[in-house]
Amino acid sequence: MEIPDHILVVDDDPEICQLVGNYLEKNNFRVSIARNGREFSGFLEKEHVDLIILDLMLPGEDGLTLCRNLRSRSNIPVIILSAKGEEMERIIGLEMGADDYLSKPFHPRELLARVKSVLRRARSLPNDLIHEKTESTVFRFSGWSLDTLSRQLFTSKGESIPLSGSEFNLLSIFLTQPNRVLSRDLLLELSQGREFDTFDRSIDMQVSRLRRRLRDDPKNPQIIKTVRSSGYVFCSRVEKTS
Amino acid sequence: MGTDSAKIPIIVDKDLEEIIPGYLKNRLKDMILLPQALASGDFETLRVLGHRMKGSGAGYGFAAITEFGKKIEIAASKEDPFEIEKNIIALGDYLNRVEICYK
Repeated sequence: MEIPDHILVVDDDPEICQLVGNYLEKNNFRVSIARNGREFSGFLEKEHVDLIILDLMLPGEDGLTLCRNLRSRSNIPVIILSAKGEEMERIIGLEMGADDYLSKPFHPRELLARVKSVLRRARSLPNDLIHEKTESTVFRFSGWSLDTLSRQLFTSKGESIPLSGSEFNLLSIFLTQPNRVLSRDLLLELSQGREFDTFDRSIDMQVSRLRRRLRDDPKNPQIIKTVRSSGYVFCSRVEKTS
Repeated sequence: MGTDSAKIPIIVDKDLEEIIPGYLKNRLKDMILLPQALASGDFETLRVLGHRMKGSGAGYGFAAITEFGKKIEIAASKEDPFEIEKNIIALGDYLNRVEICYK
């Protein structure tokens, strides 16, 4: 018998917890609830969790603080729940390493689709990047280094460059498959868990943002090169240390 | 021809059938708590109750509850008792008339 994925819902509104819990359990997930930061931290110490659904507005420690603290020690996928009008918090949440977001009110079916998508994406990442890591792997390339445990990118002078969840995923994919042409649809599927459509330019925008982070000249990129009609190739020697 | 007492048909996801009665029962409890909070000028309680209805209503299939919640939350933030009262009455009317069909 297959073990169901375990989802932790962190929300102080019992009706949101019931809605999410009931719907996900009907769709073969195991669901646990934490109503605040203390219950959340206590829960993670004793239980294995596959994905966290995290409300931003919580009593005591807010969702953003919990997300930032979690990312310093774990890569468990996180979906943020936020009320409409909290756009800035949502953006900050994504920058702190959340994997997706959903505005309240939401249809539970949409939440289910996002949970499946985020889990699929997390599992398609290379094994040494998957969640709940306790040891770091460091990739070094072109004077840069990426620490997969803290999800931090460092310059050769040790300056830390913040990465969003999707930027980290994309860079991780490139680092594990250097000097190989990766198609746009493969990159989109691996980094975001969804299929490419002809008019979808989101992967190009992500590559463009990642180039900016890596200070790679967009007119003449040296690290991530465009392969016309095919995709992208990561042109750098990569060293990996654990 | 519709009248003020006509039923309001709502189609709700069959997967939510078990939890809808409890959700609507809680709204009826809100219909006691909201006027009490209004009578005592407790705008924080009104804001929180409105905020929660706003966040959950449409998820359970009741977009109108989200709208009433949103209006109550905004009016509570502005400490506007007339707008709050108007929306409590409208919420009560909606709850009396809503008729659910699970699909």
